Amino acid sequence: MSGTYKKVNRNVTLTLWERMYVFEVVRGVLITAGHFFPNFVSVTKAYFGGKPADRKIMTIYYPEEKPVLPEAYRGKVVLVRAKDGREKCVACGLCEVACPAKCISIVGGLRDDGTRYPVTYTLNGAVCIFCGLCEEACPEEAIVMSDRYEGLCEYDRKLMIYDKEALLVPEEKLGKRLAYIRRRMYGKWNY
Amino acid sequence: MADLLPSTEMLASLAEMMAKIVFIFTMNMGVFAPLLGWVERKQSALMQDRIGANRADILGFTVFGLLHTLTDAIKLLTKEDFIPQGADRPLHYLAPFIAVVPSLVAFAVIPFGGHYNLWGHDTNLVIADLDVGILFVFAIASIGTYGSVIAGWASNNNWSLLGGIRVGAQMLSYEVAMGLSLVGVFMVYGSLRLTDIGVAQENFFHWGIFLQPLGFLLFATCALAENKRTPFDVPEAEAELVAGYFTEYSGLKFAMFWMAEFLEMVTISGVLVALFFGGWHIPFVTHAGLVKFFGFLGTNFAQVATMLVHVTVFWTKVLVWIFVLMLIRWTLPRFRYDQVMKLGWKIILPLSIINIFITGAVMLMVK
Repeated sequence: MSGTYKKVNRNVTLTLWERMYVFEVVRGVLITAGHFFPNFVSVTKAYFGGKPADRKIMTIYYPEEKPVLPEAYRGKVVLVRAKDGREKCVACGLCEVACPAKCISIVGGLRDDGTRYPVTYTLNGAVCIFCGLCEEACPEEAIVMSDRYEGLCEYDRKLMIYDKEALLVPEEKLGKRLAYIRRRMYGKWNY
Repeated sequence: MADLLPSTEMLASLAEMMAKIVFIFTMNMGVFAPLLGWVERKQSALMQDRIGANRADILGFTVFGLLHTLTDAIKLLTKEDFIPQGADRPLHYLAPFIAVVPSLVAFAVIPFGGHYNLWGHDTNLVIADLDVGILFVFAIASIGTYGSVIAGWASNNNWSLLGGIRVGAQMLSYEVAMGLSLVGVFMVYGSLRLTDIGVAQENFFHWGIFLQPLGFLLFATCALAENKRTPFDVPEAEAELVAGYFTEYSGLKFAMFWMAEFLEMVTISGVLVALFFGGWHIPFVTHAGLVKFFGFLGTNFAQVATMLVHVTVFWTKVLVWIFVLMLIRWTLPRFRYDQVMKLGWKIILPLSIINIFITGAVMLMVK
């Protein structure tokens, strides 16, 4: 459907056939009936067959069925924990600067081996606008938008202030999103 | 003294009458009134590529959303019955009853089966076999209009009043055309009695739809307008008048207007089936032929079986018509008020008069 559109001429004069109305009514009724009967069959089939895929209607029974999210979906912001167990973040503060809602605050520090790391990394989930600019700013692929969209609301705003431990997610779980970021990045470089 | 005691025949007639009344009442109030709400929700949903109401459940069983009817009933019963300040309280109270009772009563003259000889007792499957038949339906339907008009007036609300006035104007316009559109049917069948018209339609090619195609079209349009549902729902136009004449009604009184609308739909379908779609007859199957087919059951049970088949056929036809009415209701957008009036007075009324002339001319030629 996307990409095609039909121009509507609103000043059209009706032909005699259209002004007789009855035939156009029948045509309209046939169109809606043409939606009704296939849907009726498919819904009945899905209900008794137990296969939601049989249902041709796009509606998702939400809590029971979960939508398949595209890779570009921007859910809760998470920090990436590298395979060695350390956070990838080097506390450069670029995400802090990029954030238009100013919901990130970082205190950086040095490890014994000389690498930088965030001592504290606080992200206020109540302020975050899920724009994804922190992800784009990050030179280390250390902060990404996950596909998590449930359980982000709390009755108390203080509970929505996430600390570093609440944000860290193992790298393996974010493979798809990281691949997407790389593709998008190189895509940018290539045009 | 013995004459005053009820005879067996009288008792049988009484039992027959009671059975018929209970049957029609159960069909209307027990089956159609609650079920049509569900049908409307689900059918409109499927027509618009949606799923429709399906969340109400008892122990996890949703039964295709049928339980929403139950939740509706509970909600409407427990809601506050609100009467606005300055409303005419008695009339405000009376209006929903005037609206809902006629739509029930009108079904009294619609035959849902023919004559059956059950154990020597002649059973006629219509509650009141009136000579005026269809005119009774018109008369009763007009009384139903009072319900809406009074509701509009008694609510002390501008929207309600506008809705009430629109109901009055629309019903007046279409009542005239409706009556005239059926004159052709009376001429063809030579009777106003709906049972006679039903018997005359035993032959498939004598169905009203074949003998009176234009009359059918005009009557169906007028009946849609009488029903005050979407193509003709100017009296309750949500976008303009909130809910029209029943804006100020809540709880069970609102439910009664709602029910009246659905029951009117059943009545309209019944009239359409009785007049134009062969009533209780199966195409190409005669009454006698069906009795003969069930002959192996014995004389009486053959009659019973025939009766059951005919009643089922009648209600199936009614259901199909309800489906079509719903289809039209969820397909067409609302007419403007002036378009409703123009259609009624300038198109349907002249066409129905022309239909009478054509019918008369054809009947003269055939004779």
